[in-house]
Amino acid sequence: MSLPSSGSGDLLVILRHPPHGSSWLREGLDVALVAAAFGQAVSLLFQDEGVLALLKEQQAGPLGQKGTAATLDMLAMYDIESLYIDAEALNRFGLHADALQLPATRVDAEAIKSLLNQHQQVLTF
Amino acid sequence: MRYGLLVMGAPYSSQATHSALRFASALLTQGHQLESVFFYHDGVYNAARHAAPPQDEPHLYDAWCALHTEHGTQLHVCIAAALRRGMLDAREAERHGKVGHSVEAPFELTGLGQLIDLGQNVDRLLTFAP
Amino acid sequence: MILHILNRPPSHSRVYRQALDAMAEHDRLLLIEDAVTGALISQVEHFQSIAGRLYVLQEDLVSRGLDSHCAEAVHIVDMEGFVRLTEEAEKTVSWY
Repeated sequence: MSLPSSGSGDLLVILRHPPHGSSWLREGLDVALVAAAFGQAVSLLFQDEGVLALLKEQQAGPLGQKGTAATLDMLAMYDIESLYIDAEALNRFGLHADALQLPATRVDAEAIKSLLNQHQQVLTF
Repeated sequence: MRYGLLVMGAPYSSQATHSALRFASALLTQGHQLESVFFYHDGVYNAARHAAPPQDEPHLYDAWCALHTEHGTQLHVCIAAALRRGMLDAREAERHGKVGHSVEAPFELTGLGQLIDLGQNVDRLLTFAP
Repeated sequence: MILHILNRPPSHSRVYRQALDAMAEHDRLLLIEDAVTGALISQVEHFQSIAGRLYVLQEDLVSRGLDSHCAEAVHIVDMEGFVRLTEEAEKTVSWY
């Protein structure tokens, strides 16, 4: 599957970790938001367990840790609308598009390669 | 070429810091510049000024300081990641009513914007993570 | 051409598969730290799809006593070689 022509940008942030089990997701999203605030064209790729970051109905953590939902709501405010999601991982976790909080373009390995090539910088979290 | 490093592992706990220091040394030997190291996630612990490793082990904190002293490399520590992990400089310690502080020059607490700037200003940005 | 850097071996984590998925035709992969076990004769098949484009950091092999167990087809580089690989690539991506 090929990317829409908007599959390019300044920064691609690849989010590979799920919510709550570590701070990687939160810290990766913070980098994306700051980059966008600094005027960069930012795309997000949710890969492997990172696809779980987009699930609807996530909650705050049991000890009161902030959940991801509010941060996801901020993405549009910061003009981060190029969201991509690993199709193979979605299938592996048995998830469908309607389970996700935000719309994201499903990508396969070929499209992922293109994403990495079409962004000036790539950071993984 | 101008290089930047993003270090996200705590010293000793993983090889991230060791690899970053080895890479830094090699790039400098080859005539490149190391503009800045940005510490994020558990990498902020590299700024712990009271680090006191045994004498027969590498002194990672001193190694970072030497990069600054000898090559002018800036050492930027993400303030948000640092504060929640108890890594405060004198100013933040006072602001939060804490006795003592764990971060001092040449390490500087800065915002994530410095990482974004670094990425734009260098030719190569490498991540070393646990 | 991108240089991908992997520090967790196939025996530990599936992150190597995400790295491989993200690698385009001329991209290179460098194994460092614990990922150097991926260069062992018995493990290197995990990287078959990028034969000829797989590199491993010598000092991490040596410190682990693995330098004589490395598959021949893997390019062994020292730190200077690592720096050169980053010069030759347009950017690097770390997989951990």
